[in-house]
Amino acid sequence: MTARGKIGAELVLSLALLALAGDRIAGYRFDAQDTAHALETPSRAHWFGCDALGRDLLARLCEGGRVSLVVAVGATALALAFGLVYGALAGWIGGRVDALLMRGVDVIYALPDVLVTVLLIEVLSAALAGLPDLWRRLAALALALGFAGFVGVARLVRALVLQAREETWVEAARASGAHPARILVRHVLPNIAAPLLVSAAFRIPAAILSESTLSFIGLGIQPPFSSWGTLASDGFEAMRSYPHLILFPCVAILCSLLGFHLLGEELRERLDPRDRP
Amino acid sequence: MIRYALGRMLAGIPVLWVVATLTFALLRFLPGGPFDKERSLPPEIMRNLERRYALDGTLGEQYVDYLVRLAHGDLGPSYKYVGRDVADILADSVPVSLALGAAAFALAVVGGIGLGLAAGARRDTAVDRAVALGSLVGVSAPSFVIGAGLILVFGLGLGWLPAGLWEGPLYAVLPACTLAALPMAYAAQLTRAQVVAVMDQDYVRTARALGVPEARVRRRHVLRNALLAVMTYFGPLLAILLTGSFVVEKIFAVPGMGRFFVTAVTNRDYPLVLGVTLVYAVLVVVANLIVDLAYAWLDPRIRVGNTER
Amino acid sequence: MPKRGVLVAWAAVLALACVRGSERAPARELRINLETEPPTLDWNLATDGVSIIAIEQLMRGLTRLGPDLRPEPDLAERWEVSSDGRTYTFHLRPGVVWSDGVPLRAQQFVDSWQRLLAPATAAEYAYFLFGVKNARAYNAGKLADFSEVGVRAPDDATLVVELDAPAVYFPALVNFTVTFPLRRDLVQRWGDRWTDPGKLVTLGPFVLDEWRHEYRLVLRANERYWQGRPPLDRITAYMVQEGSTALVLWEQGLLDLVHIPPLEIRRYATRPEYLRCPLLRGYYYGFNTRKPPFDDARVRRAFALAIDRSQFPALLRGGELPWSSWIPPGMPHANAALGLRFDPERARALLREAGVDPARLPPVQIVYNSDPTHKLVAEKVQAFWRDNLGVRVELVNREWKVFLKELSTDAPPVFRLGWGADFPDPDNFMNLFTSYSENNHTGWANPRYDDLVQRAAREPDTEERQRLYDEAQRILCEQDVPMVPLFVVAANFAVQPRVHGFRPTAMDRYFFEQVSAE
Repeated sequence: MTARGKIGAELVLSLALLALAGDRIAGYRFDAQDTAHALETPSRAHWFGCDALGRDLLARLCEGGRVSLVVAVGATALALAFGLVYGALAGWIGGRVDALLMRGVDVIYALPDVLVTVLLIEVLSAALAGLPDLWRRLAALALALGFAGFVGVARLVRALVLQAREETWVEAARASGAHPARILVRHVLPNIAAPLLVSAAFRIPAAILSESTLSFIGLGIQPPFSSWGTLASDGFEAMRSYPHLILFPCVAILCSLLGFHLLGEELRERLDPRDRP
Repeated sequence: MIRYALGRMLAGIPVLWVVATLTFALLRFLPGGPFDKERSLPPEIMRNLERRYALDGTLGEQYVDYLVRLAHGDLGPSYKYVGRDVADILADSVPVSLALGAAAFALAVVGGIGLGLAAGARRDTAVDRAVALGSLVGVSAPSFVIGAGLILVFGLGLGWLPAGLWEGPLYAVLPACTLAALPMAYAAQLTRAQVVAVMDQDYVRTARALGVPEARVRRRHVLRNALLAVMTYFGPLLAILLTGSFVVEKIFAVPGMGRFFVTAVTNRDYPLVLGVTLVYAVLVVVANLIVDLAYAWLDPRIRVGNTER
Repeated sequence: MPKRGVLVAWAAVLALACVRGSERAPARELRINLETEPPTLDWNLATDGVSIIAIEQLMRGLTRLGPDLRPEPDLAERWEVSSDGRTYTFHLRPGVVWSDGVPLRAQQFVDSWQRLLAPATAAEYAYFLFGVKNARAYNAGKLADFSEVGVRAPDDATLVVELDAPAVYFPALVNFTVTFPLRRDLVQRWGDRWTDPGKLVTLGPFVLDEWRHEYRLVLRANERYWQGRPPLDRITAYMVQEGSTALVLWEQGLLDLVHIPPLEIRRYATRPEYLRCPLLRGYYYGFNTRKPPFDDARVRRAFALAIDRSQFPALLRGGELPWSSWIPPGMPHANAALGLRFDPERARALLREAGVDPARLPPVQIVYNSDPTHKLVAEKVQAFWRDNLGVRVELVNREWKVFLKELSTDAPPVFRLGWGADFPDPDNFMNLFTSYSENNHTGWANPRYDDLVQRAAREPDTEERQRLYDEAQRILCEQDVPMVPLFVVAANFAVQPRVHGFRPTAMDRYFFEQVSAE
């Protein structure tokens, strides 16, 4: 593995650990307010300092990272799932079904994705009213971002399935009368797993980016819950006097995106030789 | 060429129609209407309000009325800015977003391709590595990170450029740079990859072997193919830039469409939200059309015949 | 790409930037930040501080409040009061003209007050003039003929007002925007758009030049102002919502006057450009008393007892003073001893008594208008209620204009609001929560409270007045608790050294005609 791949993998693994551990790493609860320590710069007691309400920033970063990663991974998983089914159907069945499905994709592709995402978040938040607050917002975000991403996956899957259909062993399997679903699952899917994995590796950072941007402008995660985007937004307000408040969330976002990009590049070179220029 | 252009234009209309229908449906079914919830209004006023917000008549009648109004550019009244129409509200802000987007686009195209060419031509040198690092940061940093950084360095630290508002051309520099960062980085990466690929291809080597001067080889083959590849990315990119980026407009207090959109969503002013969506959809279709035409102009293989791309 | 050409181009841009930087402060122009779009410039309808700042530069009224908060003559040169204290006669200053040349006439005041009180206008501040004879009946629709209401203009230069009962503070009351004169002819001509630039006609120190919504408002000096042309040529009022961006712009010299965001106050406190002004302004949280769980006074009391006000000064650092009753310190008849203090035990006991189980209660919504201070306070209160009561709280923020509309149509369960004095008398604070006040968004009505407030308004004896207000405040802040007062605020400004004469009063009024800028 190249140096690039190693760095990327290390970053991603650290993030996964962060997501699992949450605010336990910091020793403080993410929502514990302690006005006496408000706006403290990094110190022995609070490694990353505190925000305006005296909440430990490291704890909030860990908890926020959890939220950001859950949304990103959820959105990617949903995008992959939708896209896989959609693209496989289009590619395998072909003909009019394919044409119709692809028309749909074209229309969705033409819509500006940020807007669709924002509107979907609003509609879904209202529709999912039964869930507890945080889960409602997380689900809405994951679904909306997943919807925004599934088109690319669908196109990719369709192209791959079309390609696979021409392979001789698939022809043979069909000729032998095997059920098409069985062929799809047993033979076609394992072969397209590699490009899909590469796609996932690039979708996750895109989702983190989208979610943190939405949260920064106030349309994503709502208080009291935090993601890196909301932390950056809070930090922006006090940027002049307390730069540590915006510095750490930005570094966190940067590192996570960098990590996934590097890992993605590495995976792409190793798993997806077709993409060589 | 004309036929191609017309064909692409016609293909855009069904997209707009779908968007319009979807926005109509959403507008009717989302909660939070224009009527006061607790104060009961006298019947004449209610009827006037219904007429104003086009909520009288059957659903079918409303839909037809809605489409007719749209064709005339009437996006309906805003729910929250009482007494003002969505079209009015957007009229001032669309040119601002367009200007910002255009500036960012120019910067991204010129800067990105330039950097990519420089890096590709000087493969594996310090220049190449610098561009690679820079573009990695560019695609990994969200726009608010870059915006905050630019404000701190150029706005406060050096004091060269204003940190916000929209009072003159100089005020556009920081927002445009922030907006252009990601596309420029991506464009540089794409261009570099294309440059490397094309320079390796046989015919370039052959041309060089035959003694065609270096500069001509580069210019003709490399640039054109690189441009073509990069342009496939620029289509959707142009649309995103034109929308002005919500974050950039918010951070730099630029009075564009994006700012209205964010406020409208927070305030549940659905006609305004959907008005903005429609304007964006139109811009996207137009942008894609322009890119398709430019692509066709650059690549003669497409001009001939009516290939379905 | 020619490298040298690029370098030259960059050098030119940077040189331009540096040169441009030096000429950023235009002489005799003031650039301020309004922070948000004013909901309206119609002075009969405006109820909020942002609109009022803009309106007061454009228009003036019968009197003006000086720095000691005493009424001074403005459009009224002098006034007399009858021996029974019920009739005021205002003599208008001669030679005052509107910006289109039309002279000021007493009838224009009558027109304005009629529009304020007319039921069809549905002005939220109509109750402001309920002290005038028959005003209330007219506003309720019981009286159709306005000539029966106690205000008339016997000639162009005289305005006579008859009150129901003597009100010593009446000259101070008419400093407020809703009582400003009106040009009925223009309102009829232009309808809803009479406040648009180009149509709006005013008589104050400035006129409206341009209004670019959600971006900026530009005011130009009024050559015809009766006190003489103000020293400033132009005021540009931007609407930058992000306090930190506004502060950066101030530091760059692109803005002259900004409010300092709460987190930055500590850093500015020692600088010469810092200006703090304690205000007669209270900050409270209101309940919608018409909907559960806040339709039960015990629940409201419990939520009030769970708030520890002493934490707000350290949190906000803007000179806030925790205050548990409603009449603010500095206002006559204020009483620091009243109100509910922090007592979480009692709070929990009250909830149990009311039969409310915090774990089963659906999340309580706090709605506030977008602003970093309000967000901090809301998050703090959210923590208080979570830690001391075990209740889940949701925070929702709205833009100011929309927030106001929501308050008057369907008030949220818990909302944040402030109240600044319109005139320096406790009646202005106390009558806010009467049943007939349209600014009372809690939906609470208590006839005894109404009665106490009305009696206190006309009570000449100071001691008796104190007793009445104390009893009313007990009902408001200790028993029924439709709202929880949190603290009183101070304004914190950063003012450029080139600006002279900016002296905000405790009433949060800015008289920009006194300001000059180099």
